[in-house]
Amino acid sequence: MSARGTVPTVGHMIEATELTKRYGGRTAVDALTFRVRPGRVTGFLGPNGAGKSTTMRLVLGLDTATSGTATVCGGPYRRLGAPLRSVGALLDAKGVHGGRSAYGHLAALAASNGIPRGRVAEVLDLVGLPPATARRRTKGFSLGMGQRLGLAALIGDPEVLILDEPVNGLDTEGIRWVRDLMRSLAAEGRTVFLSSHLMSEMELTADHLVVIGRGRLLADTPMRDFLAAGPARAGAHTLVRTPEPERMRELLEERGATVRLDARGGWRVVGPGASAIGDLARDHGVAVHELTPELSSLEEVYTELARSSVEYGTGGANGDGGAASARSRTRTRTTVGKGHVR
Amino acid sequence: MTTRTPLAAAHPRAGFRQAYAAEWIKFVSVRSLLWTTVATALVPVLGAVFVAATSSLQPDDTVLGGSLTLSVVAQMLAAVAGALTVSGEYTAGTLRATLSACPRGGTVLAAKGAVLATVLYVPALVSCGAAYVLGGALLPASHPAGEPLPALFGVAASFVLAGWLGLAVGTLVRHSAGSVGAVLGLLVLPSVFGPLLGAAEPWVAGFSPTAALEKLTQTSDATADAVGSLGAWPSLLLVAGCTAALLLAAAVALRARDV
Repeated sequence: MSARGTVPTVGHMIEATELTKRYGGRTAVDALTFRVRPGRVTGFLGPNGAGKSTTMRLVLGLDTATSGTATVCGGPYRRLGAPLRSVGALLDAKGVHGGRSAYGHLAALAASNGIPRGRVAEVLDLVGLPPATARRRTKGFSLGMGQRLGLAALIGDPEVLILDEPVNGLDTEGIRWVRDLMRSLAAEGRTVFLSSHLMSEMELTADHLVVIGRGRLLADTPMRDFLAAGPARAGAHTLVRTPEPERMRELLEERGATVRLDARGGWRVVGPGASAIGDLARDHGVAVHELTPELSSLEEVYTELARSSVEYGTGGANGDGGAASARSRTRTRTTVGKGHVR
Repeated sequence: MTTRTPLAAAHPRAGFRQAYAAEWIKFVSVRSLLWTTVATALVPVLGAVFVAATSSLQPDDTVLGGSLTLSVVAQMLAAVAGALTVSGEYTAGTLRATLSACPRGGTVLAAKGAVLATVLYVPALVSCGAAYVLGGALLPASHPAGEPLPALFGVAASFVLAGWLGLAVGTLVRHSAGSVGAVLGLLVLPSVFGPLLGAAEPWVAGFSPTAALEKLTQTSDATADAVGSLGAWPSLLLVAGCTAALLLAAAVALRARDV
């Protein structure tokens, strides 16, 4: 709970330790351990139903963990003196009474934490809700306007931000705005933790990733490492354009490369890297007009990871998988390989 | 982030005072709650006029009891307002925001209760007082006046108790329509089913806030056979005790349950 302007400390961290949540026989969050550090944007990835929202609710103390702990700024959320000044949260639901105006909603939030009323107008301006709109009842709000209102969680100028699908329902401009906002908040030394299912967006926004599947931690790693060490380098390939396509294909296939026609024209080569292909072309006197290495996108790595996690999970679990899915999880974890840094 | 109001840095706290301020803003910024409260205050006055206009006052009834005929309905509206203050939050998902801002559920519940007391007590007192004065002017002078003081203070208190009952039921039921139905059932059913229960009737009906209200208004409906021989004030205390127990259960549930 330091005032703005002080150096960010390790205290402004989100920490989950062996966090577990069971609903009856179903385990939504399974012994999750991870840390979200200040000064960078941490993306929270996982397929639908992986336990992302549940984890965020556990961190916010809205749900009670079955076992394990979740702390924010060094303690349980419920112990924070004025939570909105330390933590700003946007959860999936719009969470505003349809009959209340955005202004009324924010004024109440401000009052609950002793935040001056003047902040309401400021934060409305920050999230791009015009004053006239803010005075109307929120019943008629579009999903995008609801998200902007949700982002008014910044009202207490918090050090830690926990955002569940913040760009859901925003237009292109809104998405870029959220991205810039997240990055600038992280650059100010704040802790930014956001979940999204929009991989392309996450790739542009996050510096670090926490990936879960079926409530288990799959990866907690910098974005770069995650892309570099994805399972079997999913989707990594090299785009080759040449005036002698058939000759080039023969040469490549002789060396065991997989060659496919790319949708944009040219060959999509999986196997040898760009330098090997270039050398090969020179050795055989084949002209090359384009040689573009394409790393796996986050989407490809993630889809591969999620697919293997879901496959193993459902494959083993006839009924409701206890031991079977536990066995499969260890296999899933090994697939991640070097990406699994922590 | 160009302009920023500097936030007071020194140990800010989200305590009861802040929660009350927030709940107050929330209450007055939703039209349905405001209208329910306005209706709660208007109904007793309209009731007095109605009884006078239709000359429907029973010969053995008092002016006070006759004037406050519709206070039973107003009390139901107060209970509905109480239920909506919290069940509306469950239905809209606002409770997550509320508990994120103030994680102590007990404080939130206490603040909501205090706001209900603020918006219900004085308006109910004024409204029922006005109804009595109006009834005195309009009703035939042949009826005994009844004793308005201190009974009117108890009447107003019974409105607050009904609001709190609604608050407790709304917290436990977590659904707008469901909680309104449940709290109205608590208020109405004892007097509906009471007559079917024979000798047990006063024991069942006597617990209802409606019974306490009827005794306070000294209406001829409040016979010992129907609502028990307990006096008006002890009856109000009994209702207060039951409401307090339900509120405690609601606070425990709010703390224990996932939102």
